[in-house]
Amino acid sequence: MAKKKADKQIFDAGRIHSEFFEMVPHMVAVVDRDYNIVAANRNFEEFFGPWRNKKCYAVYKKQGGPCADCPSFEIFKDGRRRVIDSVVVDKNGRPAHNVVRAVPVFNTGKKDVGYIIEMSSPVTDTSRLQQEVSILFDRVPCYITVIDSDYRIVRANEKFRESFGNVMGRHCYEVYKRRNKKCPNCPASKTFKDGKIHESEQSGIDKKGQDINYIVSTSPLKRGGGDVAHVIEISTDITRLKALEKDIIDAERLAAVGQTVAGLAHSIKNILMGLEGGKYMISLGLKKDDRDLIDKGSEMLDRNFNKTTSLVRDFLSFSKGRLPQLEMIDPNRLVVEIVDLYKDIARQSGIELKQVLSPKVKKAPLDPDAIHTCLTNLVSNAIDACQMAKQKGNEVIITVRDDRNTLIFEVTDNGAGMDYDIKKKIFTTFFTTKGGKGTGLGLLTSRKLVQEHGGRIVVKSQKNRGSLFRLEFPRQRLNYIYKEGRKGGDEEK
Amino acid sequence: MGKAHKVLIIEDEPDVSLYLQTILETNGYQTAVCEAAADGMTHVARIRPDLISLDIMMPHETGMSFYLKLKKSREYKHIPVIVISGAVQQKEFCIEDFAPGETVPPPEAYLEKPIDVDLFLLTVNKLIKAALAGKK
Repeated sequence: MAKKKADKQIFDAGRIHSEFFEMVPHMVAVVDRDYNIVAANRNFEEFFGPWRNKKCYAVYKKQGGPCADCPSFEIFKDGRRRVIDSVVVDKNGRPAHNVVRAVPVFNTGKKDVGYIIEMSSPVTDTSRLQQEVSILFDRVPCYITVIDSDYRIVRANEKFRESFGNVMGRHCYEVYKRRNKKCPNCPASKTFKDGKIHESEQSGIDKKGQDINYIVSTSPLKRGGGDVAHVIEISTDITRLKALEKDIIDAERLAAVGQTVAGLAHSIKNILMGLEGGKYMISLGLKKDDRDLIDKGSEMLDRNFNKTTSLVRDFLSFSKGRLPQLEMIDPNRLVVEIVDLYKDIARQSGIELKQVLSPKVKKAPLDPDAIHTCLTNLVSNAIDACQMAKQKGNEVIITVRDDRNTLIFEVTDNGAGMDYDIKKKIFTTFFTTKGGKGTGLGLLTSRKLVQEHGGRIVVKSQKNRGSLFRLEFPRQRLNYIYKEGRKGGDEEK
Repeated sequence: MGKAHKVLIIEDEPDVSLYLQTILETNGYQTAVCEAAADGMTHVARIRPDLISLDIMMPHETGMSFYLKLKKSREYKHIPVIVISGAVQQKEFCIEDFAPGETVPPPEAYLEKPIDVDLFLLTVNKLIKAALAGKK
């Protein structure tokens, strides 16, 4: 009875083993010392095809002789199990990437290895993904580094290494900027603190000593909360973009000069016309012995000489100071000054002058005299436009605010407004709508001053409805000009 | 001598209009001055000038907007116009620069400030004669 029970147990155990061998979700094969496959499960056969009476290399790799780096050979020698990556060929001849766990089976009661059980799992998808990620990491047209909490670079992509050399283990500030301590306003330190993504524009020096401008974005190398152990820094090289931006600023400055000269010619032509007129009338008066005509001609000469004087005066102030003298000032302060200056003048003409300040607006590098001149021009124009208006209840509003990293001043009025022809001409010549009163230099001067700050003037106007003049100063440009003016001073400002 | 020809001067700058008036009246023309382009058509209707001398850069409404109205009017489009301006440096006055997309013909003459008096008088005389001949 006992023997029968034992036999049954042995039989069951054998069946369980056999079931297990077939069902295990891997490709399993048993190989002897002569590279023969002596057993293999269904998964194995499904993947590699027929295996009976075949050598392992013929099945695994579809080749005629043992592999040069045959792991089984080593295991038969030292009896130690191994896990290896292996490129194999499936039954359809397609290469595949497998991870193989090879375990020795010792001969009963002996120390020598009789068989090896090889358990293979396909890792083709994972492996390809890893490869893709690795290529992406290296080839993406950005600098990518991973830094630890000590700001040491623990990983860097190919593009980064190309520009900055061998950087592993070095501090990021040392590599990017050749500094010996952490940068002020470091976005990575913010990410270490709050685990959020931060971005900032920076300048550094590459391995050849060339200046390099980049926008760096720092993010934690993990998802969810908790402490940040590593930060990934992704930087985009904007050096060429910066150079282009500088070219544009220069070109705008040159264009302003060109338009000024053209405008000056126009203005002088008008004065010349007046002078010619005066001369003509005097000589006609002398010819006809007409005292009245002589007087009129002489008055005309006087007026136009005076115009020449005021034109030259305005022109000198226009050409004064080629680079703006920037200093950090509160933009609100400028608006308050202008309103104080013009409040009474406006009120005398029945016009309300209002200010809309913004306590949130940060200080900005501006030339206070220049912006004062611009705002003065705009406000005085707006008051004139209100005086010319047909409708009553006029007001002029000066606003200051920040919008998407751009500092904005706005002067709006509900005065006469402008039609298409006038709008088109206000900046292109010494154009004036104020007859003999204006020199047509005010807006041109304003535009020149704004352009010297890297900014621009936007005009919106509707006839009989009013006008809006907006001065836009992108803060990045202001900072750039500020830095340029200080000739490579403290780069982080 | 027959009836004097009438010239309407549309010009906001008093010195310039006085100058043009003096030249024209000394040479036997009748003149009228209009200081604002917006009033131009009213003047045209009242005076019915034989020629118009027109400035372009003027407050409120520009000379060009008057020009467009004049040349689109069936009744007055035949009146020759001399544009006198300091704004244009080219020899030719290009309407497209001032009124993009408009299909009106260019002005009959363009003179750059400061004007040559003889050329101005010659142009006035020629244009009036041509306009009258065209009418007949």
